[in-house]
Amino acid sequence: MSNNSKPWLRRPRTALAACAVASLVAGLTACGGGDGDGDEQSSLGKDDTLTITTFSEFGYDDQIEKWNADPERPFKIKQTKIAEWDTWKESMTKALQAGTELPDVIAVEGDAMAALVAEGANEQFADISDPELDGRWVEYAYKAGQTTDGKQIGYPTDIGPEAICYRADLFEKAGLPSDPEGAAALFKDWDTYYKTGEQFTKKLPKTKWYDASGSVAQAMLNQVEFPFQTEDQKVNVENDELKAVYDTVTKYSPTLSTKVVQWGEDWQANFTNDGFATMPCPGWMFANIKSSAPDVTGWRIADAFPGGGGNWGGSFLAVPASGAHTEEAQEVADYLTNAESQVSASKAAGNFPGNLEAQKTLQAENAEDPYFGNAKTTEILTNRAAAVTPGVPFKGDKYSDVLGLFQTAIQRVDEGEDPETSWTTFVGAVDKL
Amino acid sequence: MSGKVHSINKPGFLVYALLAAFVLGSVFPLYWSYVMGTVTKERTLQSPPPLVPGGHFIDNAKRVLDQIDFWSALLNSVVVSSIGAFSVVAFSTLAGYAFAKLRFKGSNMLMAFIVMTLAVPTQLALVPMLKQFSNLGLDGTLTAVTLPWLVTAFGVFFMRQYLVDAIPDELIDAARVDGCSQIRIVWTVAVPAARPAMAILALFTFMSVWTDFMWPLLVLQNSDVQTLQTALDKLKIAPGQGLSDLALLQAGTIMATIPLLLLFIATGRHLVSGIMQGAVKG
Amino acid sequence: MLKTSPQASRSPQGPSALRQRLSRWDVKYAPYLFVAPFFIVFAVIGLYPLLYTGYLSFFSWPRFGGAVGDPVGWANYVHVITDPVFHKALVNTVGIFLLSSVPQVVVATIIAALLDTNLRGRSWWRMSVLLPYVVAPAAAALIWSAIFADRSGLANQLLGVVGIDPIGWHTDRFASWTAIATMVNWRWTGYNTLIILAAMQAVSRDLYESASLDGAGSARQFWNITLPSIRPTMIFVIVTSTMGGLQIFTEPRLFDTNLQHQGGANYQFQTLTMYVFNTANSATDPYPRAAAAAWLLFLLIVGIALLNYVVTRAIQNRGAAR
Repeated sequence: MSNNSKPWLRRPRTALAACAVASLVAGLTACGGGDGDGDEQSSLGKDDTLTITTFSEFGYDDQIEKWNADPERPFKIKQTKIAEWDTWKESMTKALQAGTELPDVIAVEGDAMAALVAEGANEQFADISDPELDGRWVEYAYKAGQTTDGKQIGYPTDIGPEAICYRADLFEKAGLPSDPEGAAALFKDWDTYYKTGEQFTKKLPKTKWYDASGSVAQAMLNQVEFPFQTEDQKVNVENDELKAVYDTVTKYSPTLSTKVVQWGEDWQANFTNDGFATMPCPGWMFANIKSSAPDVTGWRIADAFPGGGGNWGGSFLAVPASGAHTEEAQEVADYLTNAESQVSASKAAGNFPGNLEAQKTLQAENAEDPYFGNAKTTEILTNRAAAVTPGVPFKGDKYSDVLGLFQTAIQRVDEGEDPETSWTTFVGAVDKL
Repeated sequence: MSGKVHSINKPGFLVYALLAAFVLGSVFPLYWSYVMGTVTKERTLQSPPPLVPGGHFIDNAKRVLDQIDFWSALLNSVVVSSIGAFSVVAFSTLAGYAFAKLRFKGSNMLMAFIVMTLAVPTQLALVPMLKQFSNLGLDGTLTAVTLPWLVTAFGVFFMRQYLVDAIPDELIDAARVDGCSQIRIVWTVAVPAARPAMAILALFTFMSVWTDFMWPLLVLQNSDVQTLQTALDKLKIAPGQGLSDLALLQAGTIMATIPLLLLFIATGRHLVSGIMQGAVKG
Repeated sequence: MLKTSPQASRSPQGPSALRQRLSRWDVKYAPYLFVAPFFIVFAVIGLYPLLYTGYLSFFSWPRFGGAVGDPVGWANYVHVITDPVFHKALVNTVGIFLLSSVPQVVVATIIAALLDTNLRGRSWWRMSVLLPYVVAPAAAALIWSAIFADRSGLANQLLGVVGIDPIGWHTDRFASWTAIATMVNWRWTGYNTLIILAAMQAVSRDLYESASLDGAGSARQFWNITLPSIRPTMIFVIVTSTMGGLQIFTEPRLFDTNLQHQGGANYQFQTLTMYVFNTANSATDPYPRAAAAAWLLFLLIVGIALLNYVVTRAIQNRGAAR
């Protein structure tokens, strides 16, 4: 979860990513560790253990310890952490495919959820619908864990409603309003956002307007209703809305973009060397900014997002149907996503919870973040979550695959390729999916 | 042994200069990795990058020890690497000798087959391999980590190529006339001649097993048993810390490399000087 | 001397008959016993994967399907062969291979020859060439990624000092090949050096002595004595580095900044093993298509290795004949 968890959050230099290699494979087995011997549902004793596998950091350590310390609990929980989502995704996929043993509860990254709720895949997961839990989570996240016929296969953990983070000190230099309210007006729609960017880069030519073409491209296409696939899962990337996003982003790339790839060395260096002035900013990005630019004092958060709302990232807990204790596993998923656990997890890992009650609790604490000029981060993110339209964009089973190719197409333009050529390559690559 | 090596060619300044340049190029990235492990996380992000060591190695090392079970991983790595090195050398010498010096039906075909197995793309073989180990109930164990390292195609091929010229056939014939059994000839003739190659192979295998990552990561994914390389991978999980912590990762890398380096320095001298004693021809 | 056990000597046929028979068996079967361990281990861990992937490459298997689907004939092979990305990967692989394996073998041979002289501190020199090999590949990639970062990297900063414009290590096709080849060469040259050196040490010193009595200089000696004498080891080094070089994966994969791991946004350094890997994680029939690609790669490697072997032999035979 937090930062490191997102698939796009691939930091190549974390070389150890070699696991990548591994990942291909990993699936086949591994995960297991469970007690499920493949038998039909069997009963559990107090010393039995259910397994959960998470990736990156979900912040569950304390809550799991608490469960295990409680003599009333009917069984124990054991967590395995995998360093990166990519690794875990590939392991999990292979395990599903090969029918080998999976942990009782597994964590799934948000964009991949789209492929799992699709027909042909959702049968592999237990239906963990529970009417009592209606209204526990932010609606769009809850819906994203559902199949079209209403079977719930994932409980939301954190979510990634986006605000805009910006450098108040650079705004001031460029003669723009630098306080969060004033800046928010500049981010009310994409038109204003880009226009302001052109104005800004004229004043401060050494600084670009946003962190990477990829991040604004993703933000924009996530406001398109059917960016890659129609409702019947047909792939259709040659639609006007998507092309419009592509054209806009590639048009501004030469003037407004740093043209570096997110998560790379160069991208990270830009946080401190005034490389850019604004960026789309889900809650989990805050920690990245702080750790990349600990000495910069100008970072602020505006409670606004161009063109409405947007969500970037967030994860789910799901229960593989092959497990021997799916009911108890559902109990574990329920426990770890309840308000108490999510407040604890949010404090431990810095994620913004999808659980509404947890959001309220955090808001009541009214925590201000001194790094961001005492911004009330929970309040901002709660507002941003409310601005997200449920169900937009429609994420089909190939959403994350096509998204990757789309980002790659934009990267090619950043690197100097002609936009039309790159678009043709993109369409061809999508055909080969 | 004919004593002095090329006593005729005393290496000149140019030889030293070339070697020094090569070694410098080899060592610099290592040095730089050391530098990155001795500075603070913040410093690794700043530009220009640090070029001289900072004083934070102990701090970074402490964080590594806090986050992973370094010592048990170290022990596991030592065990796995030692078994691998010993076993590869023993079996490869036997097989390499057989292929190099003994005539038996199908030997050429079998050798060609062994070399061909080197061409199997590992990426894909891993999946069914894992399935196989899972079937054998070995996943998550050190046995699973070690098994592929019992004998390698590389080792057999290497020993074969070395021995084919390193042992004069007459020596073997003489031993046979004396009535030596095959295994005894291996022991009295092949092993002494193969010693330099065996030393190299042992060292290489030890290092390869030590730095092996892909396979251990797979089979140990959900196990409490870890090797150094898989344990290091867990350093990437830094709660609430944002992007990866290069200083921490490098410190961990250094800590995982130091034992290997020590072993290398302790035995390496003997190993490489052992190369000389092997020249049986002459 | 063969020591027969006491029981054996008491056997009816008399000691010498049995001894002879044992000896015959020894000659006949011992070689098989010696090579057996490899084949046993291979049978357990290698054979099944090979056959299994071969079998699967003719079937369909949806991404999340729990079972293998229908047979599809050669469709997976057709998909791979007609994929433009596969073609690009093929060129990249060969390009990176040429930039890595060739200089690697040449430099390793030269360094080995330099080390095969009467150096002061010989052991230390020998050990220091192997130093890069103690670094795990993943850790090496970590170091080199930082060095080759396009803007903030050490390499470009150094070039800047001498007035050269920064190089797009990740964006330019040839530059990316060079960077990756550098990473590979750094780790493996010393390794090959020691292998070659071990072989050079086994060359009879008498040969050199009589050659120098004939007045041959060290270059001539190297060409006429050393190289022909270490032919089996050279073949070994060339074949193994060919096979390894064509399967290059870790370095380009970890060097990649493209978020989709395409080997650069324009596939400029995607290698065939990366292609296999990516295909195995794609949306449609991932595993069977990857299996087909892997088999094509396997055949390609065997082909190139054979070619290599033939060429090396021919060249060295000529060298030896001279």
